[in-house]
Amino acid sequence: MSAVAPVAAPLQSAPLPGTIAELLGLDPDAPAVLFVLAFLAAGAVISVLMGMTAVLGIWGKRKITAAFTDRIAVNRHGPYGLLIIPADAVRLLSKELIVPAQVDRPAWDLAPLVIASSALLGFAVIPMGNGVQIADPETGLAFVFATASIASLGLVMAGYASNNKFSFLGGLRAVAQNLAYEIPLVLTGASVVIFTGTLQMSGVVEAQQAALVSLGPVDIPSWFAFVNPFAFVLFMVANLAEVGRNPFDIPEAPTEIVAGYQTEYSSVYFVLIYLGEFIHIFLGGAIVATLFLGGPSGPVLPGIVWFFAKMIAVYLFTQWARSAVPRLRIDQLIQIGWKGMLVLSFANLVLTAVIVGVIQA
Amino acid sequence: MSNPWIAIGALGLVALAIPVSMIVMSRLLRPSIPEQGKRAVYESGEVPTGDTRIRFNIQYYMVALLFVVFDIETVLIFPWTVIYSDAVSEVGLARALLPMLAFIGVLVVALGWAWRNGAVRWIRSPETTSQRVDQS
Repeated sequence: MSAVAPVAAPLQSAPLPGTIAELLGLDPDAPAVLFVLAFLAAGAVISVLMGMTAVLGIWGKRKITAAFTDRIAVNRHGPYGLLIIPADAVRLLSKELIVPAQVDRPAWDLAPLVIASSALLGFAVIPMGNGVQIADPETGLAFVFATASIASLGLVMAGYASNNKFSFLGGLRAVAQNLAYEIPLVLTGASVVIFTGTLQMSGVVEAQQAALVSLGPVDIPSWFAFVNPFAFVLFMVANLAEVGRNPFDIPEAPTEIVAGYQTEYSSVYFVLIYLGEFIHIFLGGAIVATLFLGGPSGPVLPGIVWFFAKMIAVYLFTQWARSAVPRLRIDQLIQIGWKGMLVLSFANLVLTAVIVGVIQA
Repeated sequence: MSNPWIAIGALGLVALAIPVSMIVMSRLLRPSIPEQGKRAVYESGEVPTGDTRIRFNIQYYMVALLFVVFDIETVLIFPWTVIYSDAVSEVGLARALLPMLAFIGVLVVALGWAWRNGAVRWIRSPETTSQRVDQS
């Protein structure tokens, strides 16, 4: 496999704000024009994400869990119980906000904002197909890993500022877990960069377009999930830990420490933390789709449909794990993280480098 | 090409504005009915005991310390992965690969040392262990 030059011509068209500027006949290089158009494009993208979170987080999650545990779940309001979504949104936003005694005020108020905003910020560089990408900086992959890990900061803030023992334990567990699985996640991502030779997200997608093998008329594309399935499995496991879903839901652990870091949050703050968690899962899905599943590429259907299908597939995987896999203990978590995942991800990185190097040389 | 960070900044503003607008909307909608005991910290319905700003298990600190080392190391690995396949064709496999192998080797030795010293082994408190023995 040959390396893609760092400044390759992108597969998709230019980032979305530039495209809109050209459609409207404006100058895309003027900072003010770019800012306004990017603002509008970001509003559209974030609205779609929030809508998806509302449907899959409020309604879909219950239906999926119910299907796994042989129950029916919401079915009273509207078709398939779909009207539960606006009902729940209004119900949660109009709840009284109870501020517990002796919370650390600025930190306690900021934590939900940090959790919700940081997850949304990561979507700035994700190529969603059909030219829907807010920006395409050369350091896209490093940026997306950086924003995805800001959420851990929010979890510590929430856990420590709540002045609640359950929250405190949950916050500490969240740090221990996110730290232990951050490194395997990033190292496995780095092993993909060895193939692509660029951190630019459009370049990563483009490197996966060539056919890997042809089975008669069907071309298997060189998605990195097929090129390096070992890295794909490692990344999926580390991603589960990063978004805190079973078997890695130790920070929340409803049967042990009530709700972990979010025990003391009610009303809109609870909504923001809940929303942030789901958007974080979608961001994880978007990273997996871009790095390992060829981003928006796929036959027949338009790219954006494929991208969302892949992202939702990863979401369904986390929900499946949530229903099917028991929770780890904290000592098992640390052992698996530092002794298992870390060593395996180093092995993956070195092996990938050696194999790519031998083929290249 | 235009500067991508302007667009990212615009998205950051939207990502901040939507949660803030939700907070404002909720403030307009929600009631506030102070009652005695409502602000008490949740401890499963019991009267809360003491403060939370207490000493906690040092093992969380050990893990964080280890993370600092390995996180900086991933930052140093990233540039190498970007130029790796170009470097192999330019200066050959050995010169592109061996320095990074040595670097990772040093880190793996360090991890082995931390492992042997029990930094990544979670020690259960003797109290809970003895209770477990009593029960069985």
